[in-house]
Amino acid sequence: MDRALSEKPTAEKVPQSGAAGVVLNGHYLPPPADKDGKQWVRTSALILKPVSDLYELWRDVEKASLWQEQIVEVRATGPKTSHWVMLTGDDPDKSIEWDSEVLNDEPGKRIAWNSIGGDSDNAGEVIFETAPGGRGTVVTVLQEFHMSKLASAWETLTGRNPKQAIIENLRHFKALAETGEIPRTQGQPHGPRGTSGKTKKSLYGETIATPPGGQRIAS
Amino acid sequence: MKAVCWMGTSDVQTMTVDDPKILNPHDAILKITRTAICGSDLHLYDGFIPTMESGDILGHEFMGLVEEVGKDVTNLRRGDRVVVPFTIACGNCIFCKKKIWSACDNTNPNAHLMEAAYGYSGSGLFGYSHMMGGYAGGQAQYVRVPFANVGPLKIESDLPDEKVLFLSDIFPTGYMAAENAQIEEGDTVAVWGCGPVGIFAIASAFMLGAARVIAIDRLPERLEMARNFGAITVDYSEEDVDVLTAIKDLTGGMGPDSCIDAVGLEAHSTELQGFYDKVKTAVMLETDRPSVLRQAIQAVRKGGTLSIPGVYGGLLDKVPFGAAFGKGITMKMGQTNMHNYMKPLLERVEKGQIDPSSIISHRITLDEVPEMYKVWRDKRDNVTKIVIDPWAERAA
Repeated sequence: MDRALSEKPTAEKVPQSGAAGVVLNGHYLPPPADKDGKQWVRTSALILKPVSDLYELWRDVEKASLWQEQIVEVRATGPKTSHWVMLTGDDPDKSIEWDSEVLNDEPGKRIAWNSIGGDSDNAGEVIFETAPGGRGTVVTVLQEFHMSKLASAWETLTGRNPKQAIIENLRHFKALAETGEIPRTQGQPHGPRGTSGKTKKSLYGETIATPPGGQRIAS
Repeated sequence: MKAVCWMGTSDVQTMTVDDPKILNPHDAILKITRTAICGSDLHLYDGFIPTMESGDILGHEFMGLVEEVGKDVTNLRRGDRVVVPFTIACGNCIFCKKKIWSACDNTNPNAHLMEAAYGYSGSGLFGYSHMMGGYAGGQAQYVRVPFANVGPLKIESDLPDEKVLFLSDIFPTGYMAAENAQIEEGDTVAVWGCGPVGIFAIASAFMLGAARVIAIDRLPERLEMARNFGAITVDYSEEDVDVLTAIKDLTGGMGPDSCIDAVGLEAHSTELQGFYDKVKTAVMLETDRPSVLRQAIQAVRKGGTLSIPGVYGGLLDKVPFGAAFGKGITMKMGQTNMHNYMKPLLERVEKGQIDPSSIISHRITLDEVPEMYKVWRDKRDNVTKIVIDPWAERAA
């Protein structure tokens, strides 16, 4: 297989199996297809921080509310278990809650989790790998969820497709890790929006609160 | 505070809005001392750039005094005088580290909108649509500057605002256009559009070694400005003038080594294709009017370089890609990597090599801005560049 070219001084070994099933035997595999009410999303980001820093930030579950949309509180209930509270709209009294458990914890490499009761049925894993050429860390998230109270509340009340929310959360994680804050425009001045402006805000996903990021660390 | 708000296509109003406040640890608030209207603001005014929302504060060329800083801004203090680049960059992502600041990964809160349109998102921009971040702009009395530890350039000399204001966009944009043109000593360079970016591209082409610059426009005041900066001018609106012939005549039939399109998506054309593009964009079969781009691809010599600082937003029709391939040309383009150029260009201004304020034709108040957008769009009143003092009252 590998013998057609012998002169490749900076090439890295082709992985036989990659993060979250991206590569198998040197060949790209697409993410799992949605099936039987189960939805999948796979997304990745290149982050210029050491693998260990990123692993630690992700593993610190109580900090998830700094960078995950609509998550207002995460409480560690044991070494591997945590309790999650998520807003389902603008009303702070309307929320859904669930418990989650870390199933597989490989420090500096991979974290896998599963919900264990409550309003959400989800499971996921995050993998941290050094990028090709040593240029930062590739963080890959693979998450599955059943269309349940969580997913439907998320979409109908926040206007954000839950798959897009996973993508946005990884983007927020990257911004927080690289810069110490999450870019935001909510709270800046503007003239009257009118009906069209308000419709566009919702259409563009701007009505979803940007997670606090460095705001809360700052205070 | 007072601010200029986009309220719809061809509808800009000066309104009273809330003052900006610190929202993130790397933010700063500036009291704006001078700001300007950019040619690219006309693309917003004319409704060519999607994802504008009524109430958006316009403006991306501004400078001022630091009023307040967030807790993680360590390099600026209240009272510092700064010019702010129109592209917002975090300084820490892989693109900032590569000095491709306008491609910053971490400054566009609406990155998903740009990803859908362009594949990947660029940096956030001030006052330039929600796809580009939705940041409030600087045609106002105050502005919030995110990542103020990275972008703003401190002005420590006593140069007047007007001489350094254009470091916020158009001077670096013209300079990067000339750099992208890959000019070698003795080259001939053709520049389409003698607005502010075209003029700074002409000046920068000479700084980088051009022997001759050919400048193309139709407005007498702009052509005169181009000649003042040392270019040979071609007025494409004159009877019997054919730009391609003119360019061949002025280059011994070889064509320019480099061409610079400093016009962009709303090109005006006297030819039939101009009408064609107007109709197609009106019925939304095309988003941009690329008549200059077509001409520049035709005009550039074999193996030459085409540099594009003019803004394009979407889908272009009938771009002669066969000509581009057939001649083996190089094209370079994109939003300006501001942070690379501000300091070296400030030094040129400080040394007196160039006086950027020489292009200013109008000095106005915030209340006069709405009517000046019309004047600027219609190119009336010999307008070449409009600068705003946001604290001046309208003359009685």
